[in-house]
Amino acid sequence: MRRVVLALGGTVAGLVMLLSFRSHMASTASAGVTAGSGGAGTSPGSGSAAGSGSAAGSGSAAGSGSAAGSGSAAGSGNSAASGAAAASAPVGAGSGTGTAVTGDAIATPYGPTQVQVTLNAGKIVKVTVLQHTDDGTNSQMIDGHALPLLDNETLTAQSAKIDAVSGASYTSAGYIKSLQSALDKASA
Amino acid sequence: MSGTRPGEPAGSVGPGDAARAAGVTGISVSNPDLPGPGATSPGGTRIGRPAGRLRHAEHVMGTVFSFDVPASAAPVLPEVLSWLHWVDATFSTYSGGSDVSRFGRGELTLAECAPELAEVIAQCAVIKEQSDGYFTPWPGGRFDPSGLVKGWSIERASNMLSAAAKTGAGGAGPSGAGPGDTGASSTGASGTGHSVNGAGDIQCTGEPERGRPWRIGVAHPLHPSRLAVIVAGRDFAVATSGTAERGAHIVNPHTGLRATELASVTVVGPRISTADAYATAAFAMGGAAREWAESIDGYEAFAVAPDGTTWQTSGFAAYTAPA
Repeated sequence: MRRVVLALGGTVAGLVMLLSFRSHMASTASAGVTAGSGGAGTSPGSGSAAGSGSAAGSGSAAGSGSAAGSGSAAGSGNSAASGAAAASAPVGAGSGTGTAVTGDAIATPYGPTQVQVTLNAGKIVKVTVLQHTDDGTNSQMIDGHALPLLDNETLTAQSAKIDAVSGASYTSAGYIKSLQSALDKASA
Repeated sequence: MSGTRPGEPAGSVGPGDAARAAGVTGISVSNPDLPGPGATSPGGTRIGRPAGRLRHAEHVMGTVFSFDVPASAAPVLPEVLSWLHWVDATFSTYSGGSDVSRFGRGELTLAECAPELAEVIAQCAVIKEQSDGYFTPWPGGRFDPSGLVKGWSIERASNMLSAAAKTGAGGAGPSGAGPGDTGASSTGASGTGHSVNGAGDIQCTGEPERGRPWRIGVAHPLHPSRLAVIVAGRDFAVATSGTAERGAHIVNPHTGLRATELASVTVVGPRISTADAYATAAFAMGGAAREWAESIDGYEAFAVAPDGTTWQTSGFAAYTAPA
């Protein structure tokens, strides 16, 4: 039961990484805090990250903001925070429909983007875009295409249970926004 | 810079100091009660983790090495990390005082350098021969064996972990039972294998979980958050060369031009030092890499072209796993 549930979501040009834990992981995660020293794991979402998970903006240079739950994502009634971000109050408290976690508004070349993820029992059940890019026709066209994609891919990619990611070499800085980094932080 | 090789007397650097000096960024263990030195590094922290497993990310060589190891490997991990930093200092082409830099300028003879350099150069020569010169330790005319050093150091780090596990340094018995395994059902029980991922090139041993092979996602070069394919196996290596993270940085040594015919090439096979160098060579070859990769025994390749089309060698399917 150790596999991380890695959710992948596409956005305008980059993507959104969302990690969710199974609910039983959430309860054990409360003992921990993500180290992420050197800035690698620290989350831009700290402070504003709401709910039991943490929101880590992994916004790539190319793209829109992203929300990456670097902490544990907890379902209703089973919350624990282990992310680098200091979790504040849940936006939507755990009801039968899950807990909402809101990421930071990320400044992107296309305008601010903000994503809210709803979790239920550690699973992503809904992705809501709170702020679309709005700085021009082109961005709106991109939004129109990318945002639905984000929804679908985030939800479907949860079945992509993997232990590690192979890819073109990244630098120490590039690691921060890599999928491998998300896996390391999730550590599940 | 060859005077402080880990494993030899190295001044006052103890395991804890080594870990600290190594820039340990956080060893994570699942079981807060897990005993053993090194289970938590200075400044390191713990987050949720299945019993008996440990993850660590180490910033070294300008990138990050990610470890996914049995918790029993915690005592040996600082030594492995320290060794990687020694490799960094010795083989760096960015540091003018490294053995590699001084050798490149003719200031040191090979015999005066760390003996590991001769080992790396010998391996470079083999790959260069096998790849018709598409892999070379002289890219751009300057001595730079970096294309091999990373894979070689990943493999050596993996070997150090395997050797420690074999001698029982971590307390894992032949049964493979980790300290957190008592009473666990066989399904989902912690495995005793490990993986070392150096900047996207991975050596895996054994299993991460009993009865289950490693599952390695290959990042899609055109859609960075997606996976192009997932490969699975035990005791195998996965290396990917491409342009996704650093731009087109691989040059075709025969033309001096940047290789652009492929978006990425992934090579799988037994050893990461070889797989990594093959991937670099294949990327430089471009479209011709397919036929070449077919001819290489024991290794298989998968490539994504800039237009999104893919190809794979005939034996690659043996590694593919359903998503």
